[in-house]
Amino acid sequence: MTDALTLLWPAFVVAICLVGIHAYFGIEVLRRKVIFVDLALAQIAALGATVAFLLGHPVQSAAAYGYSLSFTLAAAVLLTFTRAWSARIPQEALIGVIYVVAAAAAILLIDRAPQGAEHLKQILTGNIVTSGIDELVFIAPLYLAIAALHAVLRRWLAHSASVAWDFLFYATFGLVVTSSVALAGVLLVFSFLIIPAAIGVLYADTLARQLAIGWFAGAMTSAAGLAISFAFDLPTGATMVCAFGAALAIAGVLYPLLCGDARLMARHVGMALRWCAAILLVGSALWLVAIPRADQPLLDVAEYVFPALRSGYLSRVEFATYEDARRYAERHRVEAERLNAMEMRSRSQGDAIDDVTVQRISSFLKSYGEMRRGEEFVMHEVRSRARARVRWPLGVGMVVLALLLMPGALGLLRQGATRLRPAAREPK
Amino acid sequence: MNSVGRRGGHARGGAIWWAVLLALWVALIAAHGVAVAQGRLSVVTTTGDLRSLTEAVGGAGVEVTALVPPGFDPEEYQPRPQDLVRVRKAQALVRVGLDFDLWADRLLAQASASVRRGMPGYVDASFGIATLDVRGLSIGGDGHAHGSGNPHYWLDPRNAEIITGNILAALAQIDPANADAYAANRLAFLARLDVKLKEWDQRLAGLRSTPLVAYHNSWPYFARRFRLEFIGTVEPKPGVPPSPAHLASLIGMMNARGARIIVRQPHEPTKDAAFVAQRTGGLVAVLAASVGALPNADDYVSLFDVNVAALRAAAGVP
Repeated sequence: MTDALTLLWPAFVVAICLVGIHAYFGIEVLRRKVIFVDLALAQIAALGATVAFLLGHPVQSAAAYGYSLSFTLAAAVLLTFTRAWSARIPQEALIGVIYVVAAAAAILLIDRAPQGAEHLKQILTGNIVTSGIDELVFIAPLYLAIAALHAVLRRWLAHSASVAWDFLFYATFGLVVTSSVALAGVLLVFSFLIIPAAIGVLYADTLARQLAIGWFAGAMTSAAGLAISFAFDLPTGATMVCAFGAALAIAGVLYPLLCGDARLMARHVGMALRWCAAILLVGSALWLVAIPRADQPLLDVAEYVFPALRSGYLSRVEFATYEDARRYAERHRVEAERLNAMEMRSRSQGDAIDDVTVQRISSFLKSYGEMRRGEEFVMHEVRSRARARVRWPLGVGMVVLALLLMPGALGLLRQGATRLRPAAREPK
Repeated sequence: MNSVGRRGGHARGGAIWWAVLLALWVALIAAHGVAVAQGRLSVVTTTGDLRSLTEAVGGAGVEVTALVPPGFDPEEYQPRPQDLVRVRKAQALVRVGLDFDLWADRLLAQASASVRRGMPGYVDASFGIATLDVRGLSIGGDGHAHGSGNPHYWLDPRNAEIITGNILAALAQIDPANADAYAANRLAFLARLDVKLKEWDQRLAGLRSTPLVAYHNSWPYFARRFRLEFIGTVEPKPGVPPSPAHLASLIGMMNARGARIIVRQPHEPTKDAAFVAQRTGGLVAVLAASVGALPNADDYVSLFDVNVAALRAAAGVP
């Protein structure tokens, strides 16, 4: 646990710092409708760093930073003038063009300097876990200065349509994005930028409230993402992006409940869920009846969650065969792991295993792999046959369940029953 | 009489033309034979390591081109249009196999028939290698998704015997006239390698009790041959950033075992390795897993020279 804390708290501080500035820029970006501008700017900065690398400057030198910065400023000029065309062509289209051309140009340049490819990748895929506090020493004051500048000039930055203010916006934003992307990677920075801002804008009207909500949501989500990434042993950046996605989804679902007619909304959601479940069941039933031996996602998931379901439709012999194959597959896996571990130990400890024995171990391992594949084939085959056998009753059962789940189905049944009752009495 | 004579003249003229054509044809075949006999055999390899080994077998006469330029990550290489031309012109193609250079399959699909799979000109250098880290069908606990085993087998210098054997078999079949010369070249190279192997073994003997960490699991064959102990990897799965739990356990293990050296290839990212080094007070040693990845590693033998020197320097052995 202490391990986790010592490793994660710098990442959390970095995340807070990034959420702080990006939530603000995100609100502004949403207002200007230039959503993907950060990707374009990051790519342009990477192009600048690539040029610097080709000219012989080390990757993290002042010269490389200078090249990145001047390329970003050039892109800011371009972006400033794209507004002039935005009446006829959406500004997003031009931003997309800047992004792809910068990416393609970087690939062409990198082709001349092989080891640059890795550096280019690093500029765009920072890993927040391995970003230390020492990197914040430079970045935090920079962000604070930019934030202060925007606070002072906000009146003109937000409302003036002049070219100079636009340029200042894109230039400062480019500076922030370039630094952030090297710390946390393109995907995570995009999430920091858009999601807290979107949540803030969803729930509040004034900038101060939007920011407060965005910061709170961003901080909580970052903490949750980092914790999940540690607890479940997952790559941090990707986990945090998914956590931010989930946060937005939750905020979106809660919005009508909190800000609209909650009961009406709950009814709508319930109805939608029932329709979805019914359609899923009918679709799966048709798929099962039509091609019982194909992958059956719904049944597979159900069996994965409740393995006991298997004994429900496998005959006793089939079930025994299935379990037997599963046990053997596991045994082959364990045996192969044991051999691998033994060979690995012998590389440096104890007596060295000679080449002939290694050759034998290697072919044993391949055989174990094949045998395991064989057992898994048996498992698959037994299950497919059983499914083919029970496809009609199971399919009909699923359709009946789907009909019961459909909104209004119970009511229809009740009506049908009352209408049938007098009809049934009539012949008497 | 005249007409007959004239007709006879025509016939003679036609025969002469046919003779000339025949002579030209024979000369062409002979010239081609001479070209082959002179050793202008064109061989394409996927990596620089295989180029170096093919040159060692083929000698000065065989013209060998590696498709992956020096310094590129050979697993991630994207073939260029020129590569197709190179493969089409080649009489033999030598590849690493074991799913390492899968990108070569797309080239082979468009190559001339003589280097397609199953033909004498197609050499899978991994044939007969005792593969390590075989994990059947699943992705193993420590990395490589390669179902057929870890593909970095050329990093065991002893495996050069098998690799050059595969190359020799192909060259001897394509160019039987020079088969003896190729066999002699190979034996001379293996003898030289044997001497060097003893030297490397001796120079690395001091590092046998030094635990090492690799950025990526590229070194099992190297470790086995020189009895080095790699206790973990920074990035367990290629292309997936390490999780914090993995980093924490790696750092814990390094501190517990006193491991201080992290081995990184030049094309692998610096940041994560530097982070672990900083947390453990260790240092990063840059090793080349392929010929051409570092400036001085320009052939198969110097590849090991460079790596042995880098490891010794990192361990502080003078």
